[in-house]
Amino acid sequence: MAPSVSSLKTKYIKLGYQYLVNHFITLLLIPLILSLSLHLLQQPSSSSSSSRLLTTLHTHLTPFQLLSLTLLISFLAALYYTSRPRAVYLVDYACFKPPLTCRVPFSTFMEHSRLIVHDQKSVEFQMRILERSGLGEETCLPPAIHYIPPNPTMEAAREEARFVIFSCLDNLFKRTGLKPKDVDILIVNCSLFSPTPSLSAMVINKYKMRSNIKSFNLSGMGCSAGLISVDLARDLLQARPNSNAVVISTEIITPNYYQGSERAMLLPNCLFRMGGAAIFLSNKAAYRRQAKYRLLHVVRTHRGSDDRAYKCVFEVEDKEGKSGISLSKDLMAIAGEALKSNITTLGPLVLPASEQLLFLFSLIGRKLINPKWKPYIPDFKQAFEHFCIHAGGRAVIDELQKNLQLSDEHVEASRMTLHRFGNTSSSSLWYELSYIEAKGRIRKGDRVWQIAFGSGFKCNSAVWKSLKSDKKPMEDSPWVDCIHRYPVHIPDIVRL
Amino acid sequence: MVNYNNKGEDEERLVYGHRLSSIGPAKVTGEVIYEPSNIDLAMKLHYLRVVYLFDKEAVEGLNLSLIKLKEALFSWLNFYYETCGRFRRSDDTGRPYIKCNDCGMRFVEAKSSLTLEEWLNLPANSLRLLVPHHVIGPELNFSPPTFLQMTFFECGGLSFGLSWTHVLGDAFSVATFMNSLGPLLKGLQPTSSPNFHKSPSNTYNSAKAVTFDPLSMKKVGPVGDNWAIDPPCEMDSCSFHLTTQQLAQLCESEGDSSLIQPFESISAVIWRAIAKIKVGSEPNVVTVIKPGPKADDTFLRNNQVVSSLKADFSVAKAHVRDLVALICNQPEDETAQIAEQVGQDPGGSDFIIYGANLTFVDLGGAEFYGFELKGSGPELVNCFVDGLGKKGVVLVLPGPKSVKHKDEGRLVTLILPKSYLEELKEELKKEWPLIT
Repeated sequence: MAPSVSSLKTKYIKLGYQYLVNHFITLLLIPLILSLSLHLLQQPSSSSSSSRLLTTLHTHLTPFQLLSLTLLISFLAALYYTSRPRAVYLVDYACFKPPLTCRVPFSTFMEHSRLIVHDQKSVEFQMRILERSGLGEETCLPPAIHYIPPNPTMEAAREEARFVIFSCLDNLFKRTGLKPKDVDILIVNCSLFSPTPSLSAMVINKYKMRSNIKSFNLSGMGCSAGLISVDLARDLLQARPNSNAVVISTEIITPNYYQGSERAMLLPNCLFRMGGAAIFLSNKAAYRRQAKYRLLHVVRTHRGSDDRAYKCVFEVEDKEGKSGISLSKDLMAIAGEALKSNITTLGPLVLPASEQLLFLFSLIGRKLINPKWKPYIPDFKQAFEHFCIHAGGRAVIDELQKNLQLSDEHVEASRMTLHRFGNTSSSSLWYELSYIEAKGRIRKGDRVWQIAFGSGFKCNSAVWKSLKSDKKPMEDSPWVDCIHRYPVHIPDIVRL
Repeated sequence: MVNYNNKGEDEERLVYGHRLSSIGPAKVTGEVIYEPSNIDLAMKLHYLRVVYLFDKEAVEGLNLSLIKLKEALFSWLNFYYETCGRFRRSDDTGRPYIKCNDCGMRFVEAKSSLTLEEWLNLPANSLRLLVPHHVIGPELNFSPPTFLQMTFFECGGLSFGLSWTHVLGDAFSVATFMNSLGPLLKGLQPTSSPNFHKSPSNTYNSAKAVTFDPLSMKKVGPVGDNWAIDPPCEMDSCSFHLTTQQLAQLCESEGDSSLIQPFESISAVIWRAIAKIKVGSEPNVVTVIKPGPKADDTFLRNNQVVSSLKADFSVAKAHVRDLVALICNQPEDETAQIAEQVGQDPGGSDFIIYGANLTFVDLGGAEFYGFELKGSGPELVNCFVDGLGKKGVVLVLPGPKSVKHKDEGRLVTLILPKSYLEELKEELKKEWPLIT
């Protein structure tokens, strides 16, 4: 479709406005510098001006005063540098690649459901969900869930945890050259499986980590727990210089497969799949060269004070005593509100001045002139090059794409991750980032926005800046054997 | 699910710990349809239950942990995705076809408290515990065409029990199918890629015009979507092994020492024995199923030639030599007629072939013993047929190989009405004193 003349004009006006506002100070300085240079050039002897300055200083100040001045300047400079927050680098990360022997084609899922769930209506409901889910035929469930009926013992859950977590960590250690003994901070987040001893203790036991390691195990925090862990790691890395932190985000599906027939609780079965990621963060200068990203911001928003938001993702027991996660019908509305809250805080941190001004004018206008004006949605595409939206479900991605006015390419990573891996909960953001890297789209200086929603109701964002242009394809990327098939077209409804 | 054997407490002690799951192709098959031919559909009420018994030497050193095992199985099923699809009916004629949607083969893991030796000493019927007894239906969408059971014995040996819908292919195809699993279990990687155009052709060359109804086929039902018939009477199975020497003796005694025709000789002896027992209602018409011309090795097909035989003389009083001659020379090839009959109403009509008349099946050339694990094949392979008519079936299988003999005789499995099977065994002992 050829753009019309008027829309082209609008586009250029907008561009002009953006350049003007964003580079305002530069634009102001240019004439100032020009005039200063012209003035200097007009002077009879320009070279003597700098020597004249030095002589003036020399004559008007004693050596003691000169020394004090130098010390003061150095002291102020040191104060400034030490009070700046430490840079937190993402050295590298590794995602779990589930074996194809665990894959669950739609037809297998439906057949097993039919054999286990005895309510015909519930089976049909699941079929409708699956048809519209946006998942593909290669998503994976853990081995215990493949049995008819599923066999979710604690040992099977531990087995899955070992399989997923150790696989990610082995991969991470190999990739980065990090030794387990050099890990200072270990954070594991897994919402629904929390045995004693904890999963972090399991990791420490397996890899024989140091006895003075700072370990944390976050459970019950939902799909946005991955970013909560990153935030915690960041805070710890501010407090401790020269430290390495490893964050493990996963969701162990084995104990949480709902075996009843309550419809609101069957939805997670259709979407949640096996996955995990291990992330290596550090504040050591030595890792600066090797690091792929630098953490710029983490913004956390919690809507738990609102009862509706608090109850919208709730673990309950059904009439037969089977426990599962119940999703309320206003999940999307609540997610939208949480998003607005989050971007209100995030906006001023990342948006260019042009967008912030527009938002400000629109806000003022709505408050003072006409409340009926449409609120201005800042153009986040100017703040970020890449978007990783938690692949919670097709509806979530659609909603965010609409709200933030993103193009299909921006949400491609999210949609394709949902298709290939399903909803892997807190680790999905890392699969999405891995997709963008596998496609070779990351350039040095690119900014990535990771945004995740979770029970509570929480909306958390993280902003990363790329330090490298990644040209080398990674052999151990979870996308390595299928990236050439992506992107795929995902039909609205898949006929089963 | 129709169960053909009664599960007693004893049986539960022999095989226990059943765990069901599904296995399927590792890679997505895509939008592929497999269309069975008319002959395939003629066989839809029949099921082959094939049992392979391995001793621990064949298995030792192989990594048969569940993960490695499943890797091999999934890799295997990439090539045989049609065994993992589900039947659907076409909208216009109701003709069944297979949607290759990777739904999977049902996989059963079980344990047994017996050793391999003990299993080999049990009567043939007990081997049925090592193979699932599934049928297709009542919901076609949710019925796997194949089941595979792996039973791990106390001594370290194991068994594979394949429950197979005859629509997918004959026993020769089953042998090809299972043999291809061997190298994968040893950890070898496949060298070719799957073929996605495997539907059989539906044309039959008939020397004569199709003018009569085939004798070898009987219409039953209609069964709708539940592809099973109620057993007309209680059937029982027994197996016995005839060594090459015994077969040679048999042929010599009939005066035809130049050519050992094991299948024809065995069939003749059994036919006569049954005729002798069933005084007044001796079977004059029998069905003979022999392998057809050897086609492409990797495809699963119903390649057998189904013929009917009518004896104009009294079988009970006949000489075995004459019966052998009759079986060799006179069978009326009815394969084309069967295809034609089925083709008239592929969606609605249901037939049985095995057991419609007393049926003799020549599987002597099937390469069951080619399913090799660590360089050696199974100790014993036996095969049963379900969905039979009341006249019963006699399967002539290759004998168990030992000490690398090329042709270790034949294993004969009889599946006949219980009412006269014992009597028949007594009668056969007159001919072959060593059978148990």
